[in-house]
Amino acid sequence: MIYTQSGTAVEPSVVPVGGSAPAGVPAKRRPRRILVRLGALAALVAVWQLAAVTTRNPSFVPSPKAVWSQLILTSTTHDGVRGYSGHYLVEHLGISLRRILIGSVLGTAVGLILGVVMGTVPWIRVVTEPVVTFVRALPPLAYFSLLIIWFGIDETPKLWLLTIAALPPVAVATASAVYGAPIGLVEAARALGATRRDVIRDVVLPNALPEIFTGVRLAVGLAYSSVVAAETINGVPGIGGMVRDAQRYLQTDVVVLGLLAIGLSGLLIDAALRTAENRLIPWRGRS
Amino acid sequence: MPSNPDVVLAAVDVHEVEHVYGTGRDAVTALGPISLSVRPGSFVVLVGASGCGKSTLLRLIAGFERPTSGAVRVGGREPVPGAGAGVVFQQPRLFPWKTVGGNVDLALRYAGVPKPERPGRIGELLGRVGLHDVAGRRTWQISGGQQQRVAIARALAGDDDLLLLDEPFAALDALTRERLQEDLRQVTGETGRTCVFVTHSVDEAVFLGSRVVVLTHRPGRIALDLDVDLPRSGVGPDRLRALPEYAALRTVIGQEVREAAGGR
Repeated sequence: MIYTQSGTAVEPSVVPVGGSAPAGVPAKRRPRRILVRLGALAALVAVWQLAAVTTRNPSFVPSPKAVWSQLILTSTTHDGVRGYSGHYLVEHLGISLRRILIGSVLGTAVGLILGVVMGTVPWIRVVTEPVVTFVRALPPLAYFSLLIIWFGIDETPKLWLLTIAALPPVAVATASAVYGAPIGLVEAARALGATRRDVIRDVVLPNALPEIFTGVRLAVGLAYSSVVAAETINGVPGIGGMVRDAQRYLQTDVVVLGLLAIGLSGLLIDAALRTAENRLIPWRGRS
Repeated sequence: MPSNPDVVLAAVDVHEVEHVYGTGRDAVTALGPISLSVRPGSFVVLVGASGCGKSTLLRLIAGFERPTSGAVRVGGREPVPGAGAGVVFQQPRLFPWKTVGGNVDLALRYAGVPKPERPGRIGELLGRVGLHDVAGRRTWQISGGQQQRVAIARALAGDDDLLLLDEPFAALDALTRERLQEDLRQVTGETGRTCVFVTHSVDEAVFLGSRVVVLTHRPGRIALDLDVDLPRSGVGPDRLRALPEYAALRTVIGQEVREAAGGR
């Protein structure tokens, strides 16, 4: 991480007018924003409660209270049962997050390399582009069957699924950014004596970084939405496996709890990625 | 004198060069045939209206392009980008992912300067172009004039004998432009570098050049090749601009540029 020095929090005194950190909210307006969001959340819970009361069918719409007590139940040991299916909620979530992490990292790494090659070698681009687009268009569940046949039902096919889901957006974003490297900057580097490798490392890749990062965020999102599919078979422990089991036994409150856990952790991870982006790529949108 | 270049090995030798863009019916001869020999230590300014091929000529000397016919030699060899010449473009072309100092550091690294020596050299190079305490800044946090100064510092990092400048001040405001002209005149005078400078400004040409070459409209050929006998040192910029010889040269070259452009 060579690009981290100085980060986003550049001394305000040297930042020219209008040059505050991108996507930054003025500090004094922040509390108001949080207040608005909390209000919206409260309204949502109220509507939910209302729906639960009017339908009067907990298997159809469980009440917020029922979901809350499931949160307690799945997070503790009660009557000798540990959480849900022998694992606490955090453990289910943790296992799924680990799968997402491994899949995203592998998919990003391979996608990055593939994207750089696609962006620099024209004939490879011609050959691989339709393949990548083809895989991108497939729903993960469609090729999961094939992966099960090839790799069995344990961890391997799940990681393959997430890797394959995460790879195309990174590859496509990297390829287009690398291919579109600004000639002016490449020439400037060559005029300074940069070799071909120097140009790729010091100009093409840093220039592509903002787009690559957008690709990574997409990839993580895809891995996230694919993890439930990956855990439809032999998915326990795992949040997707938990939701699927709960669906079988009509434990709607556990299903909703699982959905909330997936959604909220997804939000947190995207926020973390955005913070990382602002820190790692302070030059985004400047040049 | 331009007509007798064989006394010393020419820093730049352009021999019977012609350059054509495109092929077949779309072919456009941008330049030549043109021959030009640049003596070491001289400051040659290529002047002409837009479309006269002056930037093409500079790109040929920088090695970014090969001439369609004829030969270009820099220091006796065929030019290769990054070997033998520092280049300053119209836009600063700084790397926004590097700090100001980082930009110069990269140039020093490419030039093969060992890491421990670089921090000192960065300060020295930035100081030479009149910049202090900006090494840690981001490239977008400094003004356009300062950015172009960094670009010059970066081009000087290679310690090449030749400096090529392609309308480097054209995008700057008048005041900043004059300041940079004065500083460039001084820096190149101090370092004894050979410069080839492209501009469309007659005033800039007379002020900077020890030799001014006016090019005709496409295809660019030499319309006028004039040595400028103005003092290169010991005279302030304002006094220099006030000299009667200065005004006379401006008139002569200005007329030639207008004629060469062919009423365009």
